[in-house]
Formats: sequence, structure tokens, C-alpha cells
Amino acid sequence: MLQIVLNIIVLSIVYALIAISFRVTQGVLRFFNIAHAIVLTLGGYLVYEMTIQCAWPLSLAVLASILITVLLMLLIDHFLYRPLRLRNAANWQLMLVSLGLYVLLQNIVSLIWGDSTLSFRFWEIKEGHMFYGLYINDLEIVTVCSGFLLLCLFWLFIEKTNVGMKIKAVSSNYELSSILAISEENAVKWSVGIGTALATCAGILIAADTDLSPTLGFNWLLYAIVVIIISGMGKIRHILLGALLLATFQHLVAYYLDSKWMNSVAYIILIIFLFFCPSGISRKRIKKVDL
Amino acid sequence: MEYVLHLAILICIYTILAQSLSLVAGYSGQMSLAHAGFYGIGAYVTALLSVNYDSSLLINLPVAMLLSGIIALLISALAVRAIDDFFIFITLGIQIVIYSIMNNWQDVTNGPLGIPDIPPFTIFGFTFNSKLSFLLLAALFAAVVWFLISNITKSPFGRILRALSEDEIYTKSLGKNVVRAKVISFVISAMIASLAGVIYAHYVSYIDPSSFTIDESIFILCIVIIGGMHNLRGVFYAASLLVLLPEFFRFIGLPSTIAANMRQIFYGIALIIVIYNNTARRIDHVKVLEQGIRR
Repeated sequence: MLQIVLNIIVLSIVYALIAISFRVTQGVLRFFNIAHAIVLTLGGYLVYEMTIQCAWPLSLAVLASILITVLLMLLIDHFLYRPLRLRNAANWQLMLVSLGLYVLLQNIVSLIWGDSTLSFRFWEIKEGHMFYGLYINDLEIVTVCSGFLLLCLFWLFIEKTNVGMKIKAVSSNYELSSILAISEENAVKWSVGIGTALATCAGILIAADTDLSPTLGFNWLLYAIVVIIISGMGKIRHILLGALLLATFQHLVAYYLDSKWMNSVAYIILIIFLFFCPSGISRKRIKKVDL
Repeated sequence: MEYVLHLAILICIYTILAQSLSLVAGYSGQMSLAHAGFYGIGAYVTALLSVNYDSSLLINLPVAMLLSGIIALLISALAVRAIDDFFIFITLGIQIVIYSIMNNWQDVTNGPLGIPDIPPFTIFGFTFNSKLSFLLLAALFAAVVWFLISNITKSPFGRILRALSEDEIYTKSLGKNVVRAKVISFVISAMIASLAGVIYAHYVSYIDPSSFTIDESIFILCIVIIGGMHNLRGVFYAASLLVLLPEFFRFIGLPSTIAANMRQIFYGIALIIVIYNNTARRIDHVKVLEQGIRR
């Protein structure tokens, strides 16, 4: 049973990482940017390309892939989302554009690297360490530690720096913040950059654990969106709680029923939350879920 | 010739699907990504009934449409609480749950292996065996659905749908029951989608969950958006275009491994361009002031 608790913690750290990376862009862009999923996929594939094909060291490959994905998303924001924002596009229009963009990029990825699963695991698979009857392998330790570190860094960035405060201001009320001369475009660029960098890290951690396939990013992003909705578009602590809740439910279902239902249980939790508690864990009222 | 007939039948099926989605997505402004799920429910109900119980189509068709309608009623009573991009996401989640049930509930649906040997479409003792007769049947259904939806959208109820897709709160203030209109349009659309599923299952005689994935939902939504949100004829043209597109790719000699990806890339680009051109270049004076501040 303790083993399940450990697995839940590892999974919820990954969920929280993706959910926060998505939330920081979603707050400022004000729509569900589905194209964020390709960042997760692309991060893994770029590391694969650099370490296995070009034989670069892992640390360099990670840094380079973060740089490339951030640049890509900034370009997409500048040349696609920004003109649409200036044209007053509705949220659903922006979301469908990002869905189209995701379909486009995902197929380009599968044209380049093929549909079969790839792995950049050049280290040997070792048996996990034993702690008081619990098994934990090196990768899980790396995931938990780096995930925790990234979350702390993100928290420091958003709470303690000037740019972070501006992002918070724009995502809580963009009209008021434009009156106070806070540039929305700057906030968008910073949050897209930070969100993409976090998502790339998460994508690399996932890819190291479960191997690469072109649709990897989409499933994980959908879980992250479920986490965000059940946490009620709230603060970091609400998202952490939401991630923990989702991971717990999924592992309990996998333990008592079958792991094939892990996918659908996420949406069933989402539906239960929308029905009984539409404002989520944070209890913040949002305009999108009422009537 | 056989192949041309096959394509024509597919165009009929996709026209039914896309026109029924346009009732929800176009006229009442709810972008649903769960449409392939209802299509799949129709196909699975008729396949399971006719393979396991050997029941006639006169029973299968109403049962499939009724079941799909009941599920749509339950879902939409919940999903209308959300609007805009939240609604899209919830329908996406529902689509994944339906797919997951088809794929994982192996005792009933036979899982990824699918259901083989579905008998051909038989009604009043007449079996639609040849491609030509089936095309006539599918075209008849498509015409009936087209007639039905165009009448619904011209009726007073259709006017409520149009009004609420433009301004929900204003429509509410005129004393119209917005929630009920949304739910009814969603249920009608789901029932028609399951009708398309019934036709499809008896046509191909073998179904598996891979025909009813989220990609299929995106494809149907793509047809509606490319064809025009309030334009049933445009939807028909778009369905023809997108069904015939892979044939064009084959004609110019793309290998089949790349062709599937190229098709999806085309949908993605089409979705982006069409929505981009749909966003009006309105001069919003508050926005102009805001842009001054942004600089």
C-alpha cells in the first residue's frame, strides 16, 4: 500500500508540473492552448535526436531542446495568436486554431521521426533501491527532485519578481492592468516562455520514463487540463491539491479495477466536479461555468 | 466504378454527420467534439443487436437513436453549465470516455478486435447488397436529414438557436429558455449522428473503436467549420471535398504511409486558415485605445 502512495506522489508531481506550465500560459492567453501539448512531445523528441543521433551530452541536449521549444512557441504566439487577439477572436476560435496547430505539428513530428515508439534511454535499467520495503528507481528520484525544484523556482519567479507580478496581474484582470500601463504583450511573451520551458522539462521527464510516441503530449495535457478545472483555476497550492487528487483516484482505480480505466476515470472525476462543485477546489467563481 | 460508389456512400454518411453537428456547432454555437462518440454509439448498438440477437433493423434503428439521445440528454444537462472553451474541453472528455468504453469493455464490445460479420442492411425483406442500392439508401437518408435540419433551423426554434449563439444573455432576457434549447439541439444532433453510425455499421460490416476516435471528431468539426457554420449546402460541399481529398493525394502519387499524415496536416492548416479569416476585422474603439497603451 505504501508503494501506491509513493507512485501517487511521483505521478502528481508530474501532473502538477504540466498543469502549472499550462495554467501560466492559459491565465494570460485566456484560452486552452492545445498546442501546448506538442511542447511535451517535441521536448522528448529533440533530446532523443541530440543524444542518440548526434551524441551530445544529456545536459546540453536538455538545454538546447528547451531553447528550441521556447523559440517555437514564441514565434507561434507572435505570428498566429497575437494577430487573432488583435482581431478580437473569441476564445473558442482561438482554442480551435490551437487544436488545428496541434494536429499540424503532431503530424509533422510523426513524419520526421515515424510513428513507432523511440527511447533515449542510454542508461541501463537497474532494479530500484529498497527503502523500508519500498522500491524506487533512479528515474523516479530524479523526477521528484527536479519536479520539486522546478515548482519552487516557478513559485519564486511568480511571487518575488517584477515580471511574475505582472503576469499575475494580467491573468487576474487584463483590462484593469492595461489601465495601470502593464503591457499585456510582454506578460504574454514571458508567460509563454516560462510555461513552455516548464512543459519541456516535464516532457523530457515523461519521455525518459515511458518512451516516445507522437501522441504522448496530448494525453498528458488533457490530464493537466482536468487538474486545472478541478482545482478551479486557482493558485499553485490548489493545483498541487488537484494533481494529488487526480493521481490518487487514478491509482485507486488501477489498483481495485484495472489500469485500462485510468484514462476515463480522469474525465469522470471532471464530470463529478462540474456537477457538484463547479467552482473547483479554490472556490473561485469563474464566468465560464455557471448558468 | 465500385470505388466511385463507395466514395459517394462515404460522402452521404459524412454529410449526415456534419450537418447534424452543424445544428449544434453552427446554429446554437456549441462546438462539440463528442460527435464521433455518438456516431460510434449508433454503430455499436446496431452491430451488437444484429449480431447477438439477430434483431431486425426496425428495432435496431430506434433503439440506437433512443440510447444515443438518452446519453446525449444526460451529458448535455451537465455540459450546458459550461460555455466557450470549457464546453469544448468537456465534450472532448466525453468523447474520450465513450472511446475508452468501446475499447476497454471487452466482454460486451469485444475491445480493439471489433465486431465482425454485421449483416447487410435489410428492411421489409429487401436486402441492400449491391453498392448501387446502398448508395440510393444512404442518399435517401442524407436527403431526409438535410430536409429535417433545414426545417428545424427555419422554425421558431431555429431562430432561438441562432439568437443564443450570438448573445445568450440577451436571448434569455427575451424570455426564451436558453438551456432547454441547447439541450434539445444537442440531443437531436446526437440522435442523427447515431443514425449515421447505423448506416455505417451495416455498410462496412465490420467495426472497431479506431473508427470513432477523437481524430474523427476533429475531422467532422473541420467539415462544419470549412463548410460554414450556418450553411448546410456548404457543409455538403466540404464533406465531399474532404472525403475526396485522400484520393487526390493518392492521385499525385504520395506513398500511403505519408498520405495519412498529409491529410491530417491539411485539416490542421484548413482549420487555422478558415477560422483566421472568419474573425472579423472589427474596429473596436476600446481596443484601439488599449493598443495605444500597449505600445
